Amino acid sequence: MELLWHNGQVVLHNQRPNAKKQPPPPPPSSSSAPPPALDHNLFIQEDEMSSWLHYPLRDDDDFCSDLFLPAERQTSNQVVTAARPPVPSTVRPPEASSMRPPAPLPSSVRPPVRNFMNFSRLRGDFTGRGGESGPSVSKSTVRESTQVSATPARESDLTRRTDGIGSRGTVDLASRSAVDGGGGAYTVGHNRKGKAVVTTEPRNENPAGASSSLASKSEIEPFNETTIVDERKRKEREAIDETEEEAKQGRGSTSTKRSRAAEVHNLSERKRRDRINERMKALQELIPRCNKSDKASMLDEAIEYMKSLQLQIQMMSMGCGMMPMMYTGMQQYMPHMAMGMGMGMEMGMNRPPPPPPPPPFMPFPNMLASQRPLPPQPRMGGYPAVQASDPSRVYGSNQQFVPNSNQAPYSGYMDPYQQFRSLHPSQPPQFQNQAASYPSSSRVSSTKESEDQGNQTTS
Amino acid sequence: MSNRRSRQSSSTLRISDDQMIDLVSKLRLLLPEIRERRRSDKVSASKVLQETCNYIRKLHREVDNLSDRLSQLLDSVDEDSQEAAVIRSLLM
Repeated sequence: MELLWHNGQVVLHNQRPNAKKQPPPPPPSSSSAPPPALDHNLFIQEDEMSSWLHYPLRDDDDFCSDLFLPAERQTSNQVVTAARPPVPSTVRPPEASSMRPPAPLPSSVRPPVRNFMNFSRLRGDFTGRGGESGPSVSKSTVRESTQVSATPARESDLTRRTDGIGSRGTVDLASRSAVDGGGGAYTVGHNRKGKAVVTTEPRNENPAGASSSLASKSEIEPFNETTIVDERKRKEREAIDETEEEAKQGRGSTSTKRSRAAEVHNLSERKRRDRINERMKALQELIPRCNKSDKASMLDEAIEYMKSLQLQIQMMSMGCGMMPMMYTGMQQYMPHMAMGMGMGMEMGMNRPPPPPPPPPFMPFPNMLASQRPLPPQPRMGGYPAVQASDPSRVYGSNQQFVPNSNQAPYSGYMDPYQQFRSLHPSQPPQFQNQAASYPSSSRVSSTKESEDQGNQTTS
Repeated sequence: MSNRRSRQSSSTLRISDDQMIDLVSKLRLLLPEIRERRRSDKVSASKVLQETCNYIRKLHREVDNLSDRLSQLLDSVDEDSQEAAVIRSLLM
């Protein structure tokens, strides 16, 4: 589909909306239009930019229809007769998309109410442009197509928006990033539209930074609208708060005012504290074996737990990534991984690998162990029993291994956490596998454990 | 080593501001969303706590997912191989 310009007005009356739904019903005039349209595009670009705004609005009608209820589109029947075909992007013939500009400009303003409201607010002179809208519409269509090429255009959009729209600049920028994600869908549609206008795109792109920004702006309008709505709500809330304060002041005697203020303050403070307590309870439930009653230690535990969880996830994901690789490479990685993990994870590894060499099915722990021979006894302090049982369990047969893993599948994340929490020797962590796997980490952890034990005794 | 004042206050329902601020800032450092999103002085304690809970739940889910994946990997690998040992260790 091509842009149809007649005497500066784009006439697409039946094309765009229908085009979206159906295969493009070729507008009779459009066929003749393309060459002049292109020229128009070039020519139009130099026209006023404000008129471009109208055009993007039209596009939004097509695009936004999916996202927003089409209820608003009553005005531009001509243009939007389709009443928002559900799949604008796919069906829209390129020319139709570009053709968007409805002859009656004001109608274009209304249908995508959300988008246009922003525009009208900002621009003010939106509705006036009957004649200009035509060429501008076509221009905007071109702009939109250029927007399809989009990546550079978006940046220009940003600049443009800040320039053009001043007041909403921050909001736009904020929402823009959000919209860009959503705008992807729009760009698809634009792409479709852009087919017809492909030839014009290069030309349009040059000046189009601004125009595309405008076009994108229109796309983003709906999103901006929501953010603006949020802002309005916030302002309303603030206004309400202000009015409440004023009401208080209007009460009369200062004592009353002060007491009321104090009451309100107490109430709000109580509410806040209740909220915090509620969340603390929820947090306490999430943390395993949290028996602390005071908030400070509980928060400390929460912090440690989160760190250990993050660490464990990191390790596991690394393991997942490494598994598909040949294990020959693992031998290089495992020590490093264990080292890294050992720093943070302290998985009760303070048992050094037992003297008897591990069975062949665990070659690499042996290798790691050889790198770091650790005297277990002096550091082990609290885990002699565990240590004794360790070899039998770790270096037993394979059958022993499997049941161990089955018994405590969840202990993976708990063991490092246990380490963090305390050095309770009574807790028999299921560390055998970990000990075998990360002797290097055991070294680190054992060091830390000894230090902790020392600290504990002293403190 | 702990702050005596904080200990006293935390034993009751009230928690000292300094302590709370310290902990909240620590939590904020760990929470990726809050760290990127808002200015540091604007986040309330309840919000931080809520984000912490959500984050911990998310981490739990990730751990479960990774465990599942590792179990699947384990199934696909020989029992005696090195990878099997590694996977089991990770699962533990």
